[in-house]
Amino acid sequence: MNIISNIQRIPAHFGRIGVIAHHAFTQLVRMKVFYFLAFFAVILIASNFFNLPQHEGPDATGTHVLTLIKSWSLGAMTLFSVVLSIVATALLLPKDVEDRTLYTILAKPVPRIDYLAGKLLGVLLLVFVSLLIMDLLMTGILQLRTNMVLEQQVAAAVERGWPAGDVAALRTEILNQGPTLSLQGAVLAVFLRATVIASMAMLISTFSSSTLFTTIISFLIYFIGHFQADAREIYLSQGVGTSDGWLAHAISLVVALVLPDFQLFNVIDEVIQGHVMPLLILCKLSLIGLFYFIFYLFASWFIFAEKEF
Amino acid sequence: MTETVPAVEICHLVKDFKTSFKRLPLRAVDDVSIRIMPGEVYGLIGPNGSGKSTTMKALLGLVAPTAGQCSIFGKDSLQVDSRDEVGFLPENPYFYKHLSGEETLGFYGKLCGIRGAKLKSRVEELLELVDLTDARNRRIGGYSKGMLQRIGLAQALIQEPRLVILDEPTAGVDPLGSRQIRDLIFKLKERGITVFLCSHLLEQVQEVCDHVGIIFRGKMVKEGKLDDLIAIEDQTELVLKDASPELIAEIEALIKRTGGVELVRKGRPRTTLERLFLHETRKQEETH
Repeated sequence: MNIISNIQRIPAHFGRIGVIAHHAFTQLVRMKVFYFLAFFAVILIASNFFNLPQHEGPDATGTHVLTLIKSWSLGAMTLFSVVLSIVATALLLPKDVEDRTLYTILAKPVPRIDYLAGKLLGVLLLVFVSLLIMDLLMTGILQLRTNMVLEQQVAAAVERGWPAGDVAALRTEILNQGPTLSLQGAVLAVFLRATVIASMAMLISTFSSSTLFTTIISFLIYFIGHFQADAREIYLSQGVGTSDGWLAHAISLVVALVLPDFQLFNVIDEVIQGHVMPLLILCKLSLIGLFYFIFYLFASWFIFAEKEF
Repeated sequence: MTETVPAVEICHLVKDFKTSFKRLPLRAVDDVSIRIMPGEVYGLIGPNGSGKSTTMKALLGLVAPTAGQCSIFGKDSLQVDSRDEVGFLPENPYFYKHLSGEETLGFYGKLCGIRGAKLKSRVEELLELVDLTDARNRRIGGYSKGMLQRIGLAQALIQEPRLVILDEPTAGVDPLGSRQIRDLIFKLKERGITVFLCSHLLEQVQEVCDHVGIIFRGKMVKEGKLDDLIAIEDQTELVLKDASPELIAEIEALIKRTGGVELVRKGRPRTTLERLFLHETRKQEETH
């Protein structure tokens, strides 16, 4: 009977999560966070004017300006998504407690997991929309630039009497540096990394006493996440052959479970260099993102459910 | 048929808070029991820090009882579905400043699962009830204290709850705003909605409540029907209008002649400063 009533309540859960997510998104938008997009546009335009093809020597392919656009854009996307994920998540929960708006929400028939999931999804929706706009801007400019470079380089190659095969190879090489599916995969990887960070910040904010504490700890964990895999490897190599080898493995496993390995997302750098991102890697990153989203959300709920206001 | 399930049942509630520096936990509520039947207006009074708000929070599941139990219409307070039929207005509420009054009510309505035309008409009805129709599109950030309390009351009523819990509903509100909130409580009473309010403004509680509990240092020290609690058993009040001095002298003489009776007090009944204030401001409003 209880199970049936719980199943009947599932659509209501999704409805409430949607309402809270939409509200969190609106709240952040009305805080004028989208203003940073103008800053992004400036970065993009600036990257576009560095090392113009006409300034290069005759043998240069001109493709490194495309690499530069991708590098600057994905770098800015990473920076904005990480900062937004941490700051927005760290801000929303303590603000509701401080303003006592949380009382009025939890006094309604709103389960605490719905509240947390809604807030987190609201932040992720904001990051997603921001990345989408930045992606559209980057893809548009990159496409224009690729066409220009392609035209110039192919014309130069034909003028120099390159064989048709070499011209075709040059064309492929330039196109690989332009907007590709792998580049979209890299943007998705940026979003997945932001998902992991925002979920982690949500967990910290459930037991932290201030926005500042959550922000600092989240950034610390983010940086630790970039070398935790190496640190684990060194630690394990020291424990090999000793009696406490199993303990070292167990500790390493717990560390790997709780602290995400952000090195996995370095695949984005490969895409900037024009390499193809295998679909398998993208699937793996998606699963990691989903795992940490669920893991941190339930860990947050575990703490938040016991919290008194 | 009269409902037999109490709207609120608090049984031997105890709430301790951990303290950082003292070894002993702080006991905010100590063995408090309250029973409110549907349709009653119950006032919990006591000084600041006496445990009123903690009792209400325990009833809403915002804090977990150390001992004892709370239920709303027979459902355990710690269960989410117990909040299906409750509206709550916290003390000094702040709502999302970026939302307008109308959007605020829409947000809370959607949280309760109300959608579409039903939500729209409910929002209209409540804005009218709390007299905020003109300010519906203004951002909450620009609302006065009284307006905030009224929009707070409206959000508490959004899902047509059978129980409304009000924590210091008139705190910091001017006499006019205070009167409006009191009138709203009377309207709720007329509709048969159970009201559980706490305040340290005794006169207001006396005016609206039919049951009262006095809480002091976490303990319930007195509880019962208001009329029973405040009546002075051995005295009788007689208020006369347009009585001549001769009649008064005759009554006094009769009292003197009758043995075992004492005239305790004689004089003109006074209005309250609040009534005088309301009367004068209304008069000014009418002349302008």
